[in-house]
Amino acid sequence: MVPFLGHGIGLRTKHFPELLEQGRRADWFEVITENFLHVGGRPRAVLEAVRADRPVVLHGVSLSIGSVDPIDRQYLRDMRGLANAVEPAWVSDHLCWGTFGRHNAHDLLPLPFTEEALSHVVARVVEVQERLGRHILLENVSSYLTYALSTLSEWDFLAEVSRRADCFILLDVNNVYVSAINHGFDALEFLRGIPVDRVAQIHLAGHQNLGTHLLDTHDAPVPDPVWALYRDAVRRFGRVSTLVEWDDRIPPLDEVLAEAEKARSLASAVLEELP
Amino acid sequence: MTLYEVQALLHGRITGVAPHRENELREQVLDRPSLPALERVEIYARMYIHRLVDAVAEDVPHTAEMLGHDRFVDLVRQYLSEHPSCSPDIGQVGRHFGAWLRGREGLRADLPDLAILERARSEVRTAPDAPVAGAGTLQGLPPDAFPATRFVFCPSLRVLHLRHDVRALWDALDKNRDERPAPARGRTSVAVWRQEFKVFHTALSGSEAAALEVAREGGTLEEICAACAGEPEPAHAAFRAVLSWFADGWVVSVKSPRLRGRH
Repeated sequence: MVPFLGHGIGLRTKHFPELLEQGRRADWFEVITENFLHVGGRPRAVLEAVRADRPVVLHGVSLSIGSVDPIDRQYLRDMRGLANAVEPAWVSDHLCWGTFGRHNAHDLLPLPFTEEALSHVVARVVEVQERLGRHILLENVSSYLTYALSTLSEWDFLAEVSRRADCFILLDVNNVYVSAINHGFDALEFLRGIPVDRVAQIHLAGHQNLGTHLLDTHDAPVPDPVWALYRDAVRRFGRVSTLVEWDDRIPPLDEVLAEAEKARSLASAVLEELP
Repeated sequence: MTLYEVQALLHGRITGVAPHRENELREQVLDRPSLPALERVEIYARMYIHRLVDAVAEDVPHTAEMLGHDRFVDLVRQYLSEHPSCSPDIGQVGRHFGAWLRGREGLRADLPDLAILERARSEVRTAPDAPVAGAGTLQGLPPDAFPATRFVFCPSLRVLHLRHDVRALWDALDKNRDERPAPARGRTSVAVWRQEFKVFHTALSGSEAAALEVAREGGTLEEICAACAGEPEPAHAAFRAVLSWFADGWVVSVKSPRLRGRH
């Protein structure tokens, strides 16, 4: 089972001076895997300084677990090398695809939720876990389209991947909310469809309302409806390591840390209410 | 449709590789009252180009400034059609941009070289670390071992061969000065390196550039001296260059028969 790490934040370049020179810290940090593969200089120094006294997890964006392209074995070797050096609490990526014909769109594209895609993803997760020598976490993505050929709900698909491949789930509460609005499903039904024992981490973030749809921008504070859904998630999944993502228009470190503290106090209040 | 066919369809549209097939997209992507199917796909297509333009701009901010936003975006679009990203690291997508600019018409002549310099500085900033060797390493060598001595250079060192000297232009842009020095045509070799977290670049003389090329290819000190043959005192010029490489932290180890097991 994965450990409970508390309430963390993403490691971002803008905060390097405060982290490196002032020693400021969250409970734990999530780093974008691809930003640290074969990297030295200041980013590596900050990662090592933070890792010296805090847990770190590796969060990838390029595994492309649902792609029909062959798995990029060099990427897995590089990730394994980084994991050996950093000793992360866990590694995660997204339930999506992004490459086709070796051409990387650098996006988290949604999968059709079909039996064919399910078998394909499960086989690849098993292979990845074998090659990495560890269980991975897969995150639900925000999406803006759904496919006519889908026969499963997103939550059933995610739950089934986690059961069949024996992997864990990184539940992004903001992504659940964004997709629920964009596709007109009930966010609570999504939460109810996810097996409690598989959720190892929660993501929180902000988004933008563009009128016709919500866009997952990670450039704003966590909005109230997402906080409300987070309360529901804590009620269902209990005490889960939680991380605030802020990737664009990044505010000073104090502001991001304050969001993590807010998550901590909301979760504590919900857990105290539970029988 | 199979998973393969769906991904081919969507990827082609989003990246612009196969932008048509709209009827198939309408069949495969669900319409919703708030947003029709094709507009939903376009959200991804817009994000694709914005994300990759941002990634290239992060490498070459001064080049992007010189080009102006619209021209830069247009050029990156063209560049991506010839050099789509094939790396899991989005930071690699712009690595050929400067060289690719050399084939474009209607640009200021030195812009490709500016982009190449900026990209090299970006690479050097986060290149893998390596502990550097001090010049004292050489002092431990007996003089008769010098000719066969070789040097290993740090992975962050880059040597560029530019068609224009863009140092003054880079400096003006980096310091936010209004002046824009005119293109300075002429082959210029530039070394780019990092000390601690700070990135530097400097022009190399012809003989030093030749000596450094020999040294980085594993040449001996004797061969490095030969590369300085055009200098009045080749041996002195070679030693001066070698000592400056140590001083700037370019050398990580020395390989000599007399130092076996000590480098």
